[in-house]
Amino acid sequence: MSCENPTTDPDALMNRRPKFDKAKTCIKCKIAEGNIVIRHAVYCKDCFFPLLKTKFKRSLEPFVNRLPNGPRKKALNPSGNLLIGFSGGLGSTVLLDLVHKSYFSHRKPRESGGEVEAVPEQQETGAGDRYRDPRQERVWKKAAVCYVEVAGAFPGMKDRTEDIQRIVESYDDFEFVPLKIEDAFNGEWWESVDQCPSSSLLNFDISNEELPFFQSDSTRLTPLERLHTYLSRLPSPTAIPSTIRTLTRLLLLYTAHSTSSSHLLLGTSLTSLSISLIASVAMGGGFGVSEEVQEEWIPPRSGIEGRKEVGVRVVRPLRDVVNKECATWAWWNGLTVVGQETVPGFKQTIGGLTKDFIIGLERDYPSTVSAIARTCGKLTPKDEAGGQCVMCQRPAQRGMEIWKQRISVRSLADLEEAPSGIPIGTQENQPSLSPYLCYACHATMTSKSSRANPSSTNGPKLPTSTSDSKTVSNLVPLPVWVTARLFGPADKVQAEDPSREGSGDALRDGEVWRNVELGREEMRTAVKDFLLDQDE
Amino acid sequence: MPPKLCALCNTSRPILKRPKTGQQICKSCFFLVFETEVHNTITESQLFQSGDRVAIGASGGKDSTVLAHIMKTLNDRYNYGLDLFLLSIDEGITGYRDDSLETVKQNQKEYNLPLKILSYSELYGWTMDDIVAQVGRKNNCTFCGVFRRQALDRGAAMLGVDHIVTGHNADDVAETVLMNIMRGDIARLGRCTAICTQGEDTIKRSKPFKYTYEKEIVMYAYFKKLTYFSTECIYSPDAYRGHARTFLKDLEAARPSAIIDIIHSGEAFEIRDEVKRGQKLQQTCKRCGYMSSNDLCKACTLLEGLERGMANAGITDKGVKQLNAAGPTPDNLRTIPFFQMNTVGNSGPSPSPNPWPLDSGPSG
Repeated sequence: MSCENPTTDPDALMNRRPKFDKAKTCIKCKIAEGNIVIRHAVYCKDCFFPLLKTKFKRSLEPFVNRLPNGPRKKALNPSGNLLIGFSGGLGSTVLLDLVHKSYFSHRKPRESGGEVEAVPEQQETGAGDRYRDPRQERVWKKAAVCYVEVAGAFPGMKDRTEDIQRIVESYDDFEFVPLKIEDAFNGEWWESVDQCPSSSLLNFDISNEELPFFQSDSTRLTPLERLHTYLSRLPSPTAIPSTIRTLTRLLLLYTAHSTSSSHLLLGTSLTSLSISLIASVAMGGGFGVSEEVQEEWIPPRSGIEGRKEVGVRVVRPLRDVVNKECATWAWWNGLTVVGQETVPGFKQTIGGLTKDFIIGLERDYPSTVSAIARTCGKLTPKDEAGGQCVMCQRPAQRGMEIWKQRISVRSLADLEEAPSGIPIGTQENQPSLSPYLCYACHATMTSKSSRANPSSTNGPKLPTSTSDSKTVSNLVPLPVWVTARLFGPADKVQAEDPSREGSGDALRDGEVWRNVELGREEMRTAVKDFLLDQDE
Repeated sequence: MPPKLCALCNTSRPILKRPKTGQQICKSCFFLVFETEVHNTITESQLFQSGDRVAIGASGGKDSTVLAHIMKTLNDRYNYGLDLFLLSIDEGITGYRDDSLETVKQNQKEYNLPLKILSYSELYGWTMDDIVAQVGRKNNCTFCGVFRRQALDRGAAMLGVDHIVTGHNADDVAETVLMNIMRGDIARLGRCTAICTQGEDTIKRSKPFKYTYEKEIVMYAYFKKLTYFSTECIYSPDAYRGHARTFLKDLEAARPSAIIDIIHSGEAFEIRDEVKRGQKLQQTCKRCGYMSSNDLCKACTLLEGLERGMANAGITDKGVKQLNAAGPTPDNLRTIPFFQMNTVGNSGPSPSPNPWPLDSGPSG
């Protein structure tokens, strides 16, 4: 490691390697003149295409069959359909093109229509495959492309669904599934993805770290109004893009599930993967850092009788491909990149700062992004998960509240006795969201900015909550899957105080109803300290 | 509108907003929670046992000055029963250490704690000024860092202490987590969030300020009117760490909990078993007995390079090869004294006489 003073010695930070290794000839064919330099290696145009395709397949194909990391030569037999998450950005544009070129164009539809059935592993290379060439057949029977439009969340942002649709329809073989970010609060969408409808809604008090929740009567609000209320109450600018990301992820996962997809592919490049890994660590998501690379999502029970839940494997086939390679692929193939509009104020969030930092590093030191991804690939959670977070539905660690209480004294009452494990700000008999959240989601909902509020000049610009322009209530609606879990059999992930075991069991057994059936007056009494106005 | 009151005692006027929690609190509540949180960290992690001899790594900077004050305060308040010492390393950088060592000597008088100052020249025969004169400004941090780590352990062994506490704060830990991820240092990433590290052959070392924000340490020093020096090293600010530090400060400005969130992340993951198995085993240096991953420890390799006029020997693989190619190590080469853990039982005498007298400080 070099450690000189960079102000006096420009080469002090790290020795800058020459851009061209030794010659201008392609290092692959060793004949043609090179057209592109990728991490100090020179390639010609003809060699670049197979190179990228190989990197793409290498990151995807070992994870196509049900048992991952099987032999490379084994026939590809996914147990379901394919869903591609498409944002219109560079990575997903390249991903869509690569998937189409590699597995759909010039390939026959797979034999046997109808329901997708799981293919047992022993049949994958069985007698039935002997007379057909799997290389001539499509790998997945059906493929859909899902786009989540976030324009509703931010005023003045252009709805690009039509542009996206044109791109997707230019490929014959993909079905287009357009969604809106506010669908996360939409009961109709929830039913459309084959989930049991909730007859009621839940609100939670975002001003209290314990996040107590209540039955809501705000059914009059539209999904978009609920989304606005949710985003406008978040305590920091950082929380807004991070919440949009979580909502988008869950919308994609449930869509994958409802389209019987065994695989959800995302166009995360090595560059964006490194950014999300560092940002995730910086937002307290260390426990789930390996999930950022590869994840197997099994939906919580839907509540529909007899339904067999099948998991969705999220794969990022461009995770070894840097942005420069994506851009080159798109340019040389003449692909149209719709692009993504940046969330206003994004630069001052943890995600935005991390992006600027990593992209700056990548420009001068291209190996840094792969070092980050490689390092994080060697990590694993230290403890067993205590359950699944109701918000992001990733594995969550136990003991978050006790840990927080131990490291920072937030009330003089805490000083009277040693930390006992009683969560902060516990309200007797009031069910709360906090024990069902992972550390990162809890921080997103509770960790305040050093500035006044996220709607201030530095944060992402949000519409004013339309629930009631005069009332600034701290009660915030919950996404549909969170409500469904809290009404259903959610697992608490945080360690409980044994003396409160009774109430915990009630929640665990799906008996939340008994605790939340509060009259309006009781509700007001329970939250009056947290309401800034008594109008609600 | 009534004046705002302290979020904790609800009686006094708040004078600060805690960076860690965002609460607006008064001065006396700040002292109380600051001290209590460090006490909680110490007791939860069971860092000490009554009768332990503990050296405070004292540089005269803000962290170690506040650490010395806090350790003395908590030891008296909660009856930890510790024998406290101050241990300082003098790198031999003209104009850099002189003032801060004066601060340490002042602490020695104020808290009535024994002080040991161990210098690079005493231990290695080289001051940092000498080293920079030979190697130039490039890579001199490698020498300083490696030499300081050993010097602290050796100084502690000379004092016969069981434990060294250092002033590493939450910002330092968070920054190290980020830095180790970015440069792929798996071995350090695995251990950098541990509050206490102890190898078989090293003295226990811990960080009671692991969860304490740097800004709060500064506030504490300010309100307690503690004096300290914040001199930057004249030779080389650690540039790589500088990148990570600037980035961390930006993250903290965006959301102050980022520091503690990164530490939480660092504590939540570990290195996968199959990766751990591929790591080098720890052994002891064949020349000086200090812990090492190779036959020779890094300090001995660096020192040999200096002595033989091949300063790159301990820095690059090429340098090592050149050193080996230059022939065997001369017999009369200056070496570092053999390292021996010099643990002292709670009641028994020191197993070996301590040849290194304590510094008496300016008062003699």
